[in-house]
Amino acid sequence: MFILSVLPEFIIHLIFAIGILGLIAGFVLGFVPLIGKYKLPVQIISILVFSLGLYLEGGLADYKEWELKVKEMEAKVAKAEAESARLNTELQASVADKGKVIKEKGETIIKYVDRYKDRTVLQTVEGPERVRVEEVIKYVENCPVPKELLDIHNNAAKLNKGDKK
Amino acid sequence: MKLLILIPVFLLSGCAVFKTTVPVTQKFPDSVPELMKKCEDLKTVEGTSVPITDMLKVIVENYSLYYQCSNKVDGWQEWYNEQKKIFDSVK
Repeated sequence: MFILSVLPEFIIHLIFAIGILGLIAGFVLGFVPLIGKYKLPVQIISILVFSLGLYLEGGLADYKEWELKVKEMEAKVAKAEAESARLNTELQASVADKGKVIKEKGETIIKYVDRYKDRTVLQTVEGPERVRVEEVIKYVENCPVPKELLDIHNNAAKLNKGDKK
Repeated sequence: MKLLILIPVFLLSGCAVFKTTVPVTQKFPDSVPELMKKCEDLKTVEGTSVPITDMLKVIVENYSLYYQCSNKVDGWQEWYNEQKKIFDSVK
């Protein structure tokens, strides 16, 4: 209500109080000669002032309750935003860490694959292990992957490319 | 005169009838920068006749790319579920 933001609070209480006093004067103190003479106009005016005062008091109470709700809601929203930011920070760290671990594991496996690229690895292994590694190296050197199989692999790796259906 | 008494009663009932919505809105939650990074394309094997170790390396790299991307999807799911809980808690 616009009037509540402009009118000082004590004015509203004053209007309400004047209304009540007017009602008492008009309806209870009718026997007093001065009031008795103007009994009807006092009654009508006091009912109207009381009505306005009551309306404004009701509006003021509602306005205060509403303001309280706004403050409560603002506090809840601020708490939720802080919680959301905290979650994002945690998630950022968690996703980045997991991604790093996955990448590092992949790199470790690739290093292991590289062992079989040349014969220098044979200088570091002995016994039955050396025989096994030598067999693998021999296989790698003599059996290159044919282009046809590479094409199948490459086509599968590019499944998301090309025309959209 | 008695009808005038009804005016305050009528006005008083107005307080209970007109309810206003609290004008406080929630901001859409920010995303996580790490999750906004696009998934990389899978790698292909270059050459016509390559050693199996080279092909194996590409396959391992592609597995790694898949799991990195899957990690982001899991992150988005967790982000959505948790943000929804937070959003729903403000009522």
